[in-house]
Amino acid sequence: MRRFLRLFLVVAVCLTAFGAVSAQEEKVLVVGLAEDYNGLDVHRAYEPGGSLVHKAVYDTLVSFPADSVSEIVPNLAASWEISEDGLVYTFTLRDDVVFSNGAALTAADVVFSFNRMKNLKDNPSFLADTIASVEAADDLTVVLTLTQPDPAILAKLVFDAFSIVNAEEVKAQGGTDAADAAETDTAELWFDDNSSGTGPYMLDVYEPTVQTVLVRNPNYWGEAPYFDRIIIRNMPEASAQKLALEAGDIAIAMDISSDQLPSLEGNPNIQVYSTQSDTLIFLLMNQNPEVGGPMSNPQVQLAVRYALDYDGLRILGGTGTNTPAAMVPIGFAGALDPAEALPRDLDQARALLAEAGYADGFEVDLRYPDFTYIGTSFSLVAQKVQADLAEAGITVNLVPEELQVSLDAYRAGEQGFGLWLWNPDYYDTLDYVEFLPAGVVGNRAQWTDDNADQAILDLRDAVKVETDPAVRNELFRDIQLYEQQSGPFAPLFQPGVHFAYAADLQGFVYNSQWRVDLALLSR
Amino acid sequence: MPLYLYLLRRLLLAVPLVIGISLVAFTIANLVPSDPMAANLGERAAANPEIVAAFRAKWGLDQPVHIQYLTYLKNLLQGDLGTSIRTRRPVADELGKYLPATVELATASIFIALIAGVSLGVISAIWRNKPIDFIARIISLVGVSAPVFWLALMALVIFYLRLRILPGPGRLDAVISPPPAVTGLYTIDAILAGQWKTLGNAIAHLILPSLVLGAFSAGLITRITRSAMLEALSKDYIITARGKGLRERTVILRHGLRNALIPVVTVVGLSYSNLLTGAVLTETIFSWSGIGRYAYDAARSLDFAPIMGVSMLIALVFVVTNLVVDMLYYVLDPRIRL
Repeated sequence: MRRFLRLFLVVAVCLTAFGAVSAQEEKVLVVGLAEDYNGLDVHRAYEPGGSLVHKAVYDTLVSFPADSVSEIVPNLAASWEISEDGLVYTFTLRDDVVFSNGAALTAADVVFSFNRMKNLKDNPSFLADTIASVEAADDLTVVLTLTQPDPAILAKLVFDAFSIVNAEEVKAQGGTDAADAAETDTAELWFDDNSSGTGPYMLDVYEPTVQTVLVRNPNYWGEAPYFDRIIIRNMPEASAQKLALEAGDIAIAMDISSDQLPSLEGNPNIQVYSTQSDTLIFLLMNQNPEVGGPMSNPQVQLAVRYALDYDGLRILGGTGTNTPAAMVPIGFAGALDPAEALPRDLDQARALLAEAGYADGFEVDLRYPDFTYIGTSFSLVAQKVQADLAEAGITVNLVPEELQVSLDAYRAGEQGFGLWLWNPDYYDTLDYVEFLPAGVVGNRAQWTDDNADQAILDLRDAVKVETDPAVRNELFRDIQLYEQQSGPFAPLFQPGVHFAYAADLQGFVYNSQWRVDLALLSR
Repeated sequence: MPLYLYLLRRLLLAVPLVIGISLVAFTIANLVPSDPMAANLGERAAANPEIVAAFRAKWGLDQPVHIQYLTYLKNLLQGDLGTSIRTRRPVADELGKYLPATVELATASIFIALIAGVSLGVISAIWRNKPIDFIARIISLVGVSAPVFWLALMALVIFYLRLRILPGPGRLDAVISPPPAVTGLYTIDAILAGQWKTLGNAIAHLILPSLVLGAFSAGLITRITRSAMLEALSKDYIITARGKGLRERTVILRHGLRNALIPVVTVVGLSYSNLLTGAVLTETIFSWSGIGRYAYDAARSLDFAPIMGVSMLIALVFVVTNLVVDMLYYVLDPRIRL
């Protein structure tokens, strides 16, 4: 009996030890994120936080390099050809890709994914507006036909919502790519508990507002990632993220604010990464004299651009903040060098105001949403604008408004002088033609084909269809030089974004589209 | 009146109250000069008339306001609380998920507040104007006046980051899975499932947020207990009790405290309701996904169904706690007749 007991003990100890070892061996990464997504249906993806998950779980036909958005590289598509007229894109898929459920990737999956995304008519569907049709020529060939040449289409295809899912699996869960998918698709909630991608990870558990857990995809076609499990914890408060990082409970804090940087920088266990965001903060001056009043005068608009203290605004923005030279943010192909920005020149500003008939200045209301966006307090920026313009003789009355209220007026083009921000819809410079006449933001300044110069209309129409990168960059250059001299906008700055992570974490690379590729991380 | 009839009447009275609250909540949400469309659709989708029209039709926003409300009531009577525009999940499911987290937190907080508040209040009444009374009064003053976010951050910095004796934000450590859901309260569910490690972790995670959240109530209860005790201790029956030669402990606890408890019970009841509904800041800092944060997010995106659901739930919570408080009066003071 005693011998039996001893044997039992030995076995028990061995089993415990074995259990402890295998539990230890699982490599877990914990990330702190202020969760901004409410669901994980990838074809409805829209929020930047969700990109972190989708990038790890799904793949797109083409992609960007790890650290930039200025070049298109192959991903699920090994190669592609563009027709002479720029209307037909023929993609050849890799032949070695399988989904996490083991099924091989075929052209039919791509057709289903693109059509479902377009027909769901949800937030990202506008990205497919220029797509006329997508067809499978054979198992590995996808033919994408456009309604008009769209030089940005490849960059749009990198966005999460163009991720490729397994058609058969999603159809079995009520997913459809039919024209009436907006009404008939019932797979949305299935995506909250499951994934159907070809990425390095699979969705394990998504507990909304608590955490999203990813596990390694055993069937991944590429190089296996280092971490077995990734836990993305919802931490809405930046200070909680900082504390948890300092305590070692999370390895990456995704939402660090610039005022937290000084206390993190002295910590040898923590690395900080700061850069300018893609958010462009700008002033809008309405072109319609009835709405804009003096602000609709081109000389006043130029005077405002000369009167702003860009260096002071950059300091106000904090670490990582940068000033673009015109309305194309730094980081986008063809953006002017920041050194080419207009300098502050108060004499010039006063002279322009005098020429415009406002030698004694004038009074104007500046309307803006009273909120803080990625660490930038709009009321502080508005006060700085008020002080800068006062030096040129313009008296600015600050009119802070509740976000939704202000947004409604801004979208309706009813603000004479406004302070706003723009985030890119996709990572191609073409998104910034929205600041030109009849563009989304142009319309909000009531800048239309009727009241704009022919010169800018010609540039706009040319750049919309130009596919040659060198020619595009030239056109964008001319557009930005025009924007510096004319037009209803003044760029203020791109605020900084900050990340902090454990110093022993390897492979942290920032990309504006997905921020951090979790599959590249290791210890 | 028999007790069961009284209870029945009180609960029936809650029905028109809850419906009234839903009407008020609906009216206020509709008076906000904005639009759920603008709050929930992305920049480009909101600029597309076709998508906007489909959105309005899908969520019934194309109907006149009074029809929207009547439709809501009709669904409510069938037990359907509607679907959240923001998350596209049924509101009833979401309330069922977020309420237990808040109940667990609020219950732990009121428990801490009750023990700390009553003890401090009694101590400071007995030793009135002695040093210990001043200390107790300072503690209660800090509890009542310190901003919650400051207390929360201080508590985290000291006990989580520096001393490392308590865990940080969240209801459980990241690597510990929640116990199988029965009540949604992790502590109870862990006991039911016999997962003792999870239970220990859940309790450890409860300590800091409930201390922070309970601090205000503890301060308030201290003050009320102190003044009620001072009044009770000056009464003739206390002199009589002492004259009978009863032990001081018996005099204070049986004759003093028991008579001082009525106002304390009132405050505890009100505090509990407030804790259940007003924990947004604590929940945010401690990454505690509860009903406060849910209500806040729903309000920000003008998400009618959750706003209404939470409002009615809060109304119910107040009705029920008031009822429980009244029951306690009855138990504490036999002179009170229902």
